[in-house]
Amino acid sequence: MKIDRENLQRKVAELKKAGYTYLVKITAVDYSTNVQAVYILRNIPKSEDVTIEIDLGNDDLWLPTLIDHYRAADWYEREMSEMFGIEIRGRVARRLLLEKWDGVDPPLRKNFQWNAPYKST
Amino acid sequence: MPITRINIGPVHPSTHGVLRLVVDIDGDTVKNVEPHIGMLHRGVEKLVETRMYMQSPPYMEKLDYISPLSYDEAYVAAVEAALGVEVKERAQYVRLIQLELQRIASHLFFIGTLCNDLGQMFTTFMWAFEDRDKVLYLLQEATGSRMFYVNMRLGGVVRDLPPDFAEHALNFLDYLDKRLKEYESFIEKNPVFMERMKGVGVLSRADAIDLGVTGHVLRASGISYDVRKDKPYYVYEKLNFNVKTQQGGDNFARYKLRMEEIRESARLIRRALNTIPEGDALGMPIRLIGPSAKNKISMVSRELPRGEALMYLVADPQRPYRLSIRSPCFINLAALGHLTSDVRLADLFAIMGSLDLVVACVDR
Amino acid sequence: MIGNLLSYFFLAEWLSSSNPLLYLLGLVVYAIAVAIVISVFAYCFGWIERKIIAKVQHRHGPTYVGKYGILQNLADLVKLLAKQQTVPDTADKPVLYLSIMLVLAISTFIIFLLPLSPTLQASNLGFGLLAIFVIIAFFPMLIFLTGFSSGNKFADISAQRSVLIMIAYEIPMMIVVAAAALLSRGYNIQSLITMQSSNYFVVLMPIGFVVFFIVMLAELERPPFDLKEADSELIAGWLTDISAPFYAFALFIDYTRMFMGSLLIAILFFGGWYGPLLPPEVWLLIKAVIISLFIVVIRATTMRMRIDRILRTGWWYLVPLSLINLLLVYILFVG
Repeated sequence: MKIDRENLQRKVAELKKAGYTYLVKITAVDYSTNVQAVYILRNIPKSEDVTIEIDLGNDDLWLPTLIDHYRAADWYEREMSEMFGIEIRGRVARRLLLEKWDGVDPPLRKNFQWNAPYKST
Repeated sequence: MPITRINIGPVHPSTHGVLRLVVDIDGDTVKNVEPHIGMLHRGVEKLVETRMYMQSPPYMEKLDYISPLSYDEAYVAAVEAALGVEVKERAQYVRLIQLELQRIASHLFFIGTLCNDLGQMFTTFMWAFEDRDKVLYLLQEATGSRMFYVNMRLGGVVRDLPPDFAEHALNFLDYLDKRLKEYESFIEKNPVFMERMKGVGVLSRADAIDLGVTGHVLRASGISYDVRKDKPYYVYEKLNFNVKTQQGGDNFARYKLRMEEIRESARLIRRALNTIPEGDALGMPIRLIGPSAKNKISMVSRELPRGEALMYLVADPQRPYRLSIRSPCFINLAALGHLTSDVRLADLFAIMGSLDLVVACVDR
Repeated sequence: MIGNLLSYFFLAEWLSSSNPLLYLLGLVVYAIAVAIVISVFAYCFGWIERKIIAKVQHRHGPTYVGKYGILQNLADLVKLLAKQQTVPDTADKPVLYLSIMLVLAISTFIIFLLPLSPTLQASNLGFGLLAIFVIIAFFPMLIFLTGFSSGNKFADISAQRSVLIMIAYEIPMMIVVAAAALLSRGYNIQSLITMQSSNYFVVLMPIGFVVFFIVMLAELERPPFDLKEADSELIAGWLTDISAPFYAFALFIDYTRMFMGSLLIAILFFGGWYGPLLPPEVWLLIKAVIISLFIVVIRATTMRMRIDRILRTGWWYLVPLSLINLLLVYILFVG
């Protein structure tokens, strides 16, 4: 299902009440003109998954945090914000998780120059 | 006593790879663990975007060098789902047999390294490796390679099982049954082992779900979720796969669960070998073009030895547009901080050993 | 064997001579003989241990250098000696080197003080047993010094652990020794062994033997009590920053201490040199080797205990058991 980022926390709270208590994955896809965040939640007893897609546009990349609902969101959010440059609001900003490069384009965005020579920072 | 901060890794006897932990200890009690990952980050997700579809399986295998075939299969299954390729019936059996053999090999590795982390002088480790080697010989017979198999093709496998494979595999499984009993009597009768495992690193049901742990960590906490049962693929349903669970949620439950999973895998392989249909199992020759539709999303879950992997593949005609891998080790490592609050320093490594991390799989 | 040969010619005479010069000469020769025996034991046992552990683990162990790999340890020694010594800047080097050397000196000295046969001994002190255990109490102190002075946090933790274990395990050890002294009516080692000519002390006080064996394992840092150099958590504990020649030294210390512990157990509980046919020194060595083999097999199979459990075992089981042992010995054989 597709929702707005403003509704994310409310929707997730509803889903969690409906039994979707397990967070499978938070990820994102850069469709060049639009970065889409993907949340996959799971209802374990019924073994059903639900996918939440949020279109973020291309400029104003931010998302509310889910860390209050799922502790599993912690590392996924950190990874996503590092790899896509998405700002996660409402949580303590932690150091980058996977790579320590600052000032470089987020590596999983499509405009990242993957074959450019590496510049030491 | 003031809090001491010690740095463990990236090179350390029991971090199983280049994992760095910054541990705050108060005397001998662990107060805070901060894992620093990323030292093995190869950017596989980005790399896949720059390759044709069937050029990527070798990269996938390097994600988890303990159970390479499983990741290989998960990726190929995601591509198959995107392309809409049906897997041939015999190929389903062949894949299942190889995946379960890989699972046995991986679990034996786990038992060996766990005992090593508990401070044993490599004895169980060497025994487990000896048996794991026998599995590797079987896989070598089936695929032609010992470590990185790359045996999956769209719709089937590269090599069908050789004619006398069934006999060799059944012989091995009989031998394995005896060996498992030997392991259990050797390890579980050791009071030090039981003392170090029972009641250490307890993860409750609610915490397990909240922290999103997966695989044996989840099932050891009493939650019966296994992709092989809940979203069955291949012929798992036909072969009556049973999910194993343990209630304890501690280190011992995780170890015991793995022992039972080895037995269950052995049972599955036996049944599969007995009921495998005749026919063709070979997949398509390598095809460099993908699906015709643009941005076709395929989401495939697979139960790897270490837990559930989810491949979120956005497919383009030529090459993957985006592949997002949900790595089981990544989320299990994220739970380490919760599991190790206020444990003894020695237990930190026992718990880490029981999570069975592969750092390559964490970092991707 | 060298000691054995010497004893029948002149060494025993010299050592019991009333002429101080001759006695001194005897001491020097005896010290050299003991050093040779220790070196031979350490070398052979290094190889035997590798072979035994390899057998337990379904491996072959060293095979390449020399027949059955017997020269492998020599090759390793040469390699270690040829390596560069690296010591961190934070280390207190004189203390570090001195304390390690003292560990070796003390374990050698204890073996030197132990009688190898009725006639072959450095001195026949009336309080010999007490003296030995007083010297043994220096080990944890020196290990603490080594760990503390190497300026490494892992070594530091190891040093703290060594003190904790010392406090918990020296007490039951001394109580068991007191029970043995009670049985032999004194602290003289000669009379302690002579008392065992009919009955080994292991028969008279089995509880004491169990307690002493466990304590000795902890004292020798052998699994399951090898917490001071726990490799899966503390890398190498107090030896973390010891490299190259000094690491060879540390390995040598390891076997010297094992030899010392086995000799002590053999003397205290297995009747020292008593045995048929063979000369007494040989019997003592055979007993020590068998005990060492047992320690090695334990090393190959068990896991490491946790520090809090070790301390609990010490205080809740070993101390009461050793007291019960003392009481039983008093009631049954003395009172």
